Amino acid sequence: MHRFVVLLLFAGTAFAEVRFNRDVRPILSDRCYACHGPDGNNRKTKMRLDVEGGAGASILAGDAEASPVYKRLISTSKTLRMPPAYLGHDALPASDVAMIRQWITEGAKYEKHWSFIPPVRPALSAVQNSAWARNPIDRFVLNRLEREGLKPSPEADRRTLIRRVTLDLTGLPPTPAEVEAFVGDASPKAYDKVVDRLLASTRYAERMAIRWLEAARYADTNGYQTDGPRTMWRWRDWVIDAFHKDMPYDRFTIDQLAGDLLPNPTTEQLIATGFHRNNRTSAEGGSIDEELRVEYVADRTETTSTVWLGLTVGCARCHDHKFDPVPQKDYYSLFSFFNNVPERGFVWNFGNEDPLMKAPRQNEAKRLAELDDKVAAARAAADKAARDLPKLQRKWEQQIKAPGWTVSDGLGLRVAEQKSFDGKAFTELADGPKFNYQDPFTFSARVRPETPNGALLSKGEDDFEGLQHALYILNGKLRLHITFRWSDLALRLETVQPLKLNEWQHVAVSYDGKRRASGVRVYVDGKPQEVTVLMDQLLNPLSTKLPWRLGAGGGMRFQGSLEDVRVYTRVLTADEVAALTVSEPVEQLAALKKRSAAQETALRLCYLDTAAAPVIRSTRAALAAAEAERNKYAASLPETMVMRERDEVRDTFILKRGAYDAHGDKVARAVPAVLGAMPESYPRNRLGLAQWLVDRKNPLTARTTVNRWWAMLFGTGIVKTVEDLGSQGEWPGNQDLLDWLAVEFMDSGWGVKHMLRTMVTSATYRQSSRVTPELLQRDPENRLLARGARFRLSAEMIRDQALAASGLLVDKVGGPSVMPYQPPGLWQELTSSSEYNSYKQDTGEGLYRRSLYSYWRRTIAPPSMVNFDSPTREVCTVRENRTNTPLQALNLMNEVTYVEASRRLAERLLADGGASAESRIAHAFRLVLARDPKPEEVRALSAALERFRAYYAQNPAKAEQFVAHGTSKPTGPGPELAAYAGIAGIVLNLDEAVTKE
Amino acid sequence: MQPITRRHFLAGAAVASLSAATGPNFAPKAKRVIYLFQSGGPSQMELFDYKPRLTRMQGTELPASVRAGQRLTTMSSAQASFPVVPSKYSFAQHGKSGAWVSELLPHTAKMVDRLTFVKSCYTEAINHDPAVTFFQTGSQIAGRPSMGSWVSYGLGAETQDLPAFVVMISPGSGGTGQPLYDRLWGSGFLPSRYQGVKFRSVGDPVLYLSNPEGFPAENRRVYLDTLKTLNEQKLADYGDPETATRIAQYEMAFRMQTSVPELTDLSKEPASTFELYGPDARKPGSFAYNCLLARRLAERGVRFIQLYHRDWDHHGGLPKGLPRRCQETDQPSAGLIEDLRQRGMLDDTLVVWGGEFGRTVYCQGKLTPDDYGRDHHPRCFTMWFAGGGMKPGLTLGSTDDYCYNIAERPVHVHDVQATILHCLGVDHTKLTWKFQGRNFRLTDVHGQIVKEILA
Repeated sequence: MHRFVVLLLFAGTAFAEVRFNRDVRPILSDRCYACHGPDGNNRKTKMRLDVEGGAGASILAGDAEASPVYKRLISTSKTLRMPPAYLGHDALPASDVAMIRQWITEGAKYEKHWSFIPPVRPALSAVQNSAWARNPIDRFVLNRLEREGLKPSPEADRRTLIRRVTLDLTGLPPTPAEVEAFVGDASPKAYDKVVDRLLASTRYAERMAIRWLEAARYADTNGYQTDGPRTMWRWRDWVIDAFHKDMPYDRFTIDQLAGDLLPNPTTEQLIATGFHRNNRTSAEGGSIDEELRVEYVADRTETTSTVWLGLTVGCARCHDHKFDPVPQKDYYSLFSFFNNVPERGFVWNFGNEDPLMKAPRQNEAKRLAELDDKVAAARAAADKAARDLPKLQRKWEQQIKAPGWTVSDGLGLRVAEQKSFDGKAFTELADGPKFNYQDPFTFSARVRPETPNGALLSKGEDDFEGLQHALYILNGKLRLHITFRWSDLALRLETVQPLKLNEWQHVAVSYDGKRRASGVRVYVDGKPQEVTVLMDQLLNPLSTKLPWRLGAGGGMRFQGSLEDVRVYTRVLTADEVAALTVSEPVEQLAALKKRSAAQETALRLCYLDTAAAPVIRSTRAALAAAEAERNKYAASLPETMVMRERDEVRDTFILKRGAYDAHGDKVARAVPAVLGAMPESYPRNRLGLAQWLVDRKNPLTARTTVNRWWAMLFGTGIVKTVEDLGSQGEWPGNQDLLDWLAVEFMDSGWGVKHMLRTMVTSATYRQSSRVTPELLQRDPENRLLARGARFRLSAEMIRDQALAASGLLVDKVGGPSVMPYQPPGLWQELTSSSEYNSYKQDTGEGLYRRSLYSYWRRTIAPPSMVNFDSPTREVCTVRENRTNTPLQALNLMNEVTYVEASRRLAERLLADGGASAESRIAHAFRLVLARDPKPEEVRALSAALERFRAYYAQNPAKAEQFVAHGTSKPTGPGPELAAYAGIAGIVLNLDEAVTKE
Repeated sequence: MQPITRRHFLAGAAVASLSAATGPNFAPKAKRVIYLFQSGGPSQMELFDYKPRLTRMQGTELPASVRAGQRLTTMSSAQASFPVVPSKYSFAQHGKSGAWVSELLPHTAKMVDRLTFVKSCYTEAINHDPAVTFFQTGSQIAGRPSMGSWVSYGLGAETQDLPAFVVMISPGSGGTGQPLYDRLWGSGFLPSRYQGVKFRSVGDPVLYLSNPEGFPAENRRVYLDTLKTLNEQKLADYGDPETATRIAQYEMAFRMQTSVPELTDLSKEPASTFELYGPDARKPGSFAYNCLLARRLAERGVRFIQLYHRDWDHHGGLPKGLPRRCQETDQPSAGLIEDLRQRGMLDDTLVVWGGEFGRTVYCQGKLTPDDYGRDHHPRCFTMWFAGGGMKPGLTLGSTDDYCYNIAERPVHVHDVQATILHCLGVDHTKLTWKFQGRNFRLTDVHGQIVKEILA
């Protein structure tokens, strides 16, 4: 009877607006879906309430009273009522019943999955305790708390608060001075001032960068198998700079995904595109190039989707997605945006791969420009000096004296005399230069072949597929082999035109040492030849003690004649090659009335080489020196990999079962259909895709991003599955809050600092994190936010805090990655003893930089980071993991970083902490925990201190050992320092020290 | 101060890990696994898969019909010819089961009646990185949890003093082994507490295990007692169960500081032990030493013990390299089986031996009278199993006369994984973790238990 009255009461209630996702779905999900929802295995009947039409005739849209669903809800019969009493369920509360009634009455309309509908700014929730709310965040949180009958916690004390917000926004603890300034600041804006100060610091940018690096799978190595090095730190520094400057997130997105496609991109915008060159690459011998390349494109597709859309599309690589409406076709349409990079799959193991660029920093760019100017000035001077050259040269020609002159710079081997070969015998040479795969060279000879197949010159195995540098004639064509392994690690090319048989010709081949066929020039009689590239994978070092051979190599011999065979250890210019084609002595050329172009060139080179006027010689030498200086400097500049588009767009096909070679239908570039279409005005390339991602109508990007930052600050996202806002992801705990944040983010002009400021200045953020047993029972994960967040610091924060609190931290922004302490042998035991496999631990400041600068080798990531749940950076990771293990305890107690930091912290206590044990312990607390200790804490630590003191007084040699850890030199009395180092270690290991509270 | 209840502690653990261990689905045959992974891909033709008819075919071209469009690595795909090369080593039948074993493995040969051979294993990957990753994580692409971490998540540990999942690596004396990667024992998307802990042969067996020099155990005890006092005050004040967990983890760290050195102290092992495993068992870092440690770990309740022996990748110079690998691994592997048997532990310990793929019947590189090499071969290779849950003295599956294709009973990598989990009492379709909106498992959506080899 009582219930009936209540029902009647609500029956007349009309809600202003009923929305399925917001109002109805939570009720159905909570009370009905277990038996009438998406899980086919658990569904009790065909009747389901999760999809439109699933209820059949049980819902009569527009007529709630007649709908069986409604009738069952209000039934007074225990056997008929839903949810069923016989399973122990209570009836729905009257307000819920009223909600469903109105929903049916208004047409029982379902909505698309919530996150596929663009967010609109929700009205602020009504709350009773409106005085508590500092900003709209609090209204949404408080509304929920009040509905749950909960109250927010009081504000955290100032010391807790400044430590919390300083760690959150900069990843480092506040200094005691900062703490005291805040505690003593009576201004109502005191907290806001702190927040502004923190957001303005580069430390903020470094803190924001590290989560982004993990999402972008940034590392210093390639990641597969032999895991060779690469250089991408310029991209990392770009990220830091972007956060520091508060680059709007839409531009941040566009620059990284498509900076290269912007009109006249700046160097910085090109560097930004390294985001999608951070994927892992493989140099494993035997790999299939295309299979790997497809893997890279898939990685980019899935990373983009996870980072911006919060959508996991990976399932659709092999088949239509089972949960989200992403068919396989849509996957490959998205894939096609990234399928047009001129890159290879099977990569070089010792550095960056194309496309890449030199990425000088500001001061370096300035220096380079100066050197360019210097070259230009030297060139102008040389050109000026050369104005009289023809006249002077003509005069010189009258009295020419240059016996035996030839191009001799870099000439490493020469066999001048003519030799005949019978197809059997050959000449082995005792000397000659050694070449590795990155050494430039020029081969040159006059040849008169009698058969279309034979070996002209070789160094290496006398086996066609063997390790070698060799020049052949095959089917009449001139052919170059540089081979480490025939099948996959070699460079091979041949001329399109065959040589002439039984005629003398001059041949020359130069290679610039840059591992690419594009760096090879072939000349016949001084004319550049068109070539066919047969293999272009010169990826491995090669060296041999085997001799140079004339007329032999590759198991072949030569029939014909050779003359003036030369090997240079540099690339000859076309002019120099032209000069080599001239066989007459220069004196003879000088006497000629009419000369060929090559003869002219030879004379000119001879003049410049031997007899040019001093001003010509000196200005030319100055130009060469300026160029050499410039090139040397340019070569030393940092390099980074970037995105680029191929000239001819590569077709994209659906890959059946995801297999690289199982082409299905061809697809066009498009965004997943369920998310709408790209506006016509956007180009159909990565730029258009990037613009679409940050389009105001995109339902996911803003939500995904603010949700990730929320998780960073509060420990859990508003949608807990921060990597998945799709239908398999968790439903948002508070969608109004999420949508308000998302819309605010976009409306603010995608202001990153604006959003973080909004979050950390909310009353919600500022609550105390104390937990009552009741609250713990009620909300163990703190999803309702009736208290402040309390969780373990991330890996890099724990280390950085120890460095900062102890005074060891070297506060320097950017630059090449550094190698901090690591137990010896970690790399070698899993790899080999080659050069790049030896970890070269830094000796100076590299040991004490912030952790985001630590060299990151993906297959063997820094153990003290991985111990604390750092992702390995092999694939995109956006969700933070926090475990609590004994290995972490061992790490914090015994790793040299922390042992050294404890000792340095002890030195600070002795130097600045006053004279008493109490004041020194208090100083340690202030440095690490930003607060004063309680008496019982001082008591416990003082007792320990006495024990340590007693021990080290007895064992001074042990004290010397204990204070000697690390490379910094200890200062202070050994036993006393050692005892305090023990105390400092305890403080750094406190639960509170490794926790944000 | 508020008392720390067990429930309190568990609540903390559950929050930290998102999910507690699931426990076995049915009565297990094996309580633990010792996996002797032979990294690089041992040749099945020289070790277990006897192919007498190959002798007559020496140097002849492998028929295209046998190769049947098989995907080759690009190391040999460009070869002009594919000459068949038989094993250089002789074979004999052993034991009651009459299993064929090569002369290179005399100790294993004596053990055949305790072993279960599967000669028809196959994989999908043709290169090391994807193939090892596939075997250890069920996917060729990095990012999935390793087998050991799945087991450790599913079953937890039987010890409070040691990790549930331990990894040990030995290099192979050739020094040219394929690299290994932390991800092979990583926990992927499972919480990192389930990742394998690598025991090292140089320095601390477990990273950061030892107290720093000058800070002895007595100081550490004072330190930990003080830390505990302070953390308990914090727990009383803030009530966060994570604090209770942290207190417990520091205590476990302290126990490990005793239990690990005790584990690696072989001084009390009798001479007979070293007769079983061979003299190398005294050399830290050798495969023999790791086999002996594996038994000691098994005795102490470690759930999943993963060994890697490197340097089985014999593209060339096989007659030089392979006998050395056999010499390094033969006696210790057989010794481990015998040792477990003598201690009554073979019944509930599953021992697994195998690499990531097999090797080609055709020669890679130059075939000379006394030298040859073999490329990677995913289509067939041999593994053996022993102990908990296995039918001893059995051989399952066979290959064709060329040892190129499987003739009967193909066993896929996912089948091997499903079977290992089955022996542990775990249904491979039920051990799942929800990540990115999907329930993932070790065997992806595949895997059939190889019932024929089960006892």
